[in-house]
Amino acid sequence: MIDLKKCCLNNGLRVIVNEDNSTPLAAVSLVYMVGSRNEDPELTGLAHLFEHLMFRGSENVPDFDDQLQLAGGENNAFTNSDITNYHLTIPAVNIETAFWLESDRMKGPNITEESLTNQKMVVLEEYRQAYLNQPYGDATLLLRPLAYKVHPYRWPTIGKEEHIKKVTLSDVKDFFRSYYAPNNCIMTIAGNVKSDDIFKLADKWFGKIKMRRVNPVSLPEEPEQNKERNLTVKRNVPANALYKAWHVCGRKEPSFFTLDLLTDILAAGESGRLHKILIREKKLFSSINSYLTGDLDPGLLIIQGRLMNGVSYEKAETELNNIIEELKNTPVPDEEMEKVKNRFEAEHIMERVNILGRVLALSQYEVLGDASLINSEIDQYRNVTPEMVKNAAAKYLKPENCSTLFYKSTGAKQL
Amino acid sequence: MKTQKSDKPPVNPINIEFISEPEKITLSNKVPVFIINGGNEEITKIDFVLRAGFTSEEIPLQSSTVARMLTEGGSEKLTANEINHILDYYGITFNVTTDRDLTVISAIFLSKYFTKALELCGEIIFNPKFPEDELKNLMNRRLQGFLVSREKVSTIATEHFFESIFGKNHPYGIRLSAEDFLRIKPVHLRNYHSRYYTPQEMTLFLSGKTPPEAKEHLDNYFGSIEHFPGDRKKSPPLPYGEKKRNLFIPKEGAVQSAIRIGSQTIKRSNPDFASLLIVNTILGGYFGSRLMKNLREEKGYTYGIYSYLVSHELAGYLLIATEVGKKYTQKAVKEIFKEIKLLQKKPVKERELEMVKNYMLSDLVRMFDGPFATAESFRLVWESGIDMSFYQSMAQKIKSITADEIIHIARSYYDIDELYTVIAGPEK
Repeated sequence: MIDLKKCCLNNGLRVIVNEDNSTPLAAVSLVYMVGSRNEDPELTGLAHLFEHLMFRGSENVPDFDDQLQLAGGENNAFTNSDITNYHLTIPAVNIETAFWLESDRMKGPNITEESLTNQKMVVLEEYRQAYLNQPYGDATLLLRPLAYKVHPYRWPTIGKEEHIKKVTLSDVKDFFRSYYAPNNCIMTIAGNVKSDDIFKLADKWFGKIKMRRVNPVSLPEEPEQNKERNLTVKRNVPANALYKAWHVCGRKEPSFFTLDLLTDILAAGESGRLHKILIREKKLFSSINSYLTGDLDPGLLIIQGRLMNGVSYEKAETELNNIIEELKNTPVPDEEMEKVKNRFEAEHIMERVNILGRVLALSQYEVLGDASLINSEIDQYRNVTPEMVKNAAAKYLKPENCSTLFYKSTGAKQL
Repeated sequence: MKTQKSDKPPVNPINIEFISEPEKITLSNKVPVFIINGGNEEITKIDFVLRAGFTSEEIPLQSSTVARMLTEGGSEKLTANEINHILDYYGITFNVTTDRDLTVISAIFLSKYFTKALELCGEIIFNPKFPEDELKNLMNRRLQGFLVSREKVSTIATEHFFESIFGKNHPYGIRLSAEDFLRIKPVHLRNYHSRYYTPQEMTLFLSGKTPPEAKEHLDNYFGSIEHFPGDRKKSPPLPYGEKKRNLFIPKEGAVQSAIRIGSQTIKRSNPDFASLLIVNTILGGYFGSRLMKNLREEKGYTYGIYSYLVSHELAGYLLIATEVGKKYTQKAVKEIFKEIKLLQKKPVKERELEMVKNYMLSDLVRMFDGPFATAESFRLVWESGIDMSFYQSMAQKIKSITADEIIHIARSYYDIDELYTVIAGPEK
């Protein structure tokens, strides 16, 4: 049981505290409810680029990282389709420094032409390092626009190169005004702190920042897919790879838990069906995985794997389909169901042992509606039955709901 | 609504509560066990640390393949499928890593499954089978993974870097070839396992929530494993670097170059190690480092650059690693050397020194935050044959080091003429 205290400032900033006196540290997370889904389709990548710019100083803090490090802190941040998360750990005795730094940049980062140009370069190198200069690195860039035709999830968070290049200072300022308001933010703190002190500090540092109108999220709904989609690309990689994506529900819907366990039945640990059958027994794949994208709006269930040399796509797909068909036709045995639930529960506990993992989980639950879900969500998983898994498989894992990327090796690099 | 600069909160001194040497017990067969009890959560971790790394191999990949086969080949009582099912059924995270000197096998589990996890570890780790078919399947998969990783400039540059600084014939520097994956046979695995998965090569680390009767349980499951009669493979000589200090490995079509710069250096047991760690941190060991500020935050050549100081049994090494846009390759190398030379010439300013000191002190706090972090930090010094007092002296050194000492250390351990520069990327 994780003990929580919550308050909401007059300006709408939500503050969540978990006291833990077993550590001398504190972890802090600020989630702004803005991600790449909020971007203009002609200016993708802005949310992530903006995250970089938030570290380039603000009115009273010209050097965010230096000031944090001076107080013994360490930080990072990430952006995804739905949110932007800034997180840090710091000796608890210096917790006020985190308030000073975070409140100052919430009032407005100090972005110059120079820092914008510099961080565009850095982001473009990030893009090259993570997507262009890696074997199979562009697969997700190809899969998204295949699966989504209308919804902003069709573009990746990193954005398009030509969009990143054309971002202007005024784009950046507009973006800030539209989304970086206290009422669009959740602050979560865990560690050796007292909640009363934290609420006082929150009021002292953030209380005077004015509530602002935030651009409402009204995103186009992705129409139902009723025809299978295929894309084949050829790349200079050592092995053929296969990517399949089915549209599923959003993160807040009850089916999410069922689908999450379904992907665990397929691919959690080394005992998942895909590993057991397709890798060990039939020797068709060298690696394979299945997971949910877990987005707020309806997301994807993805299965991706690399084929062993000499295995045809036809054979690999047939055997994969057999496993999917079995999920639709035969209820999962109780012992296997129990296994994925136990495994989920153990992982659930382990991921929040450390205060940073805990604030990230808590803030994620608050994004979903309530941080205290952290204590009850396990029951939702426990309540999933074999029948529910079977029904979910039948409902979602239909061929006409699926997009497939055949990522083919040109053969030059094979042994 | 405006906050004044004077509102900056004061920075309080960072207190480090050091943990003394962990409790040590010895099993009936003389296997040492270190116990780091504690934590709020009902979670336990056990590490089996075996002196079974690359240096004890007869042929390449022997040590890592034995470790990987534990869950792939099945055991006397259980098939591989059964092993993996039971591990997942109890939510046990089972992990193996192999490096130059050691194999480390770790299991993390809910404390209520303590005896179950121990029993299972005993069966998986000490009674494995190495069937040919499963071995072949694993090696074919690993070969594919190897071929994929060979497409990355980062892997290419790192492999050639280690070959250069440790020598191509030394187990520390050996670069794998595709053939290595096809050569290994069950007999290699059986021989290696029976020689190195033995009490004389093993130390256990137990951390997290541990039951009061832990010792009895450990002795029950691991105390009767028998010693192997015979010596371990003779340790290889100290590694020597190759003559060629500049290496370029072309990678067609790459849009970035991977740069690796560094050399062999002192080990953790050397009294200067802590000071060198401080110099390394200033140069490239944290986000506020000079390399990061220069190459990323000023010039935008890279997404990130770090430098590392690593200690192994036979040698330590310094390594600066980054991937940069292809057109910045030469400029980046120049800037890296410029920053090293600057550290050797100009005293570090007071504010930067304060920043790095506070960062490193709080990093020490993080290294002892909870039983798992503490166990890892202890293992680090234990591997170097020293004890926890290393961290106390390190804290002292961080607090006391002066700008002059930093210049001295930078001059002593970064010899510009001795540094290797390895680049993998597109042709100019």
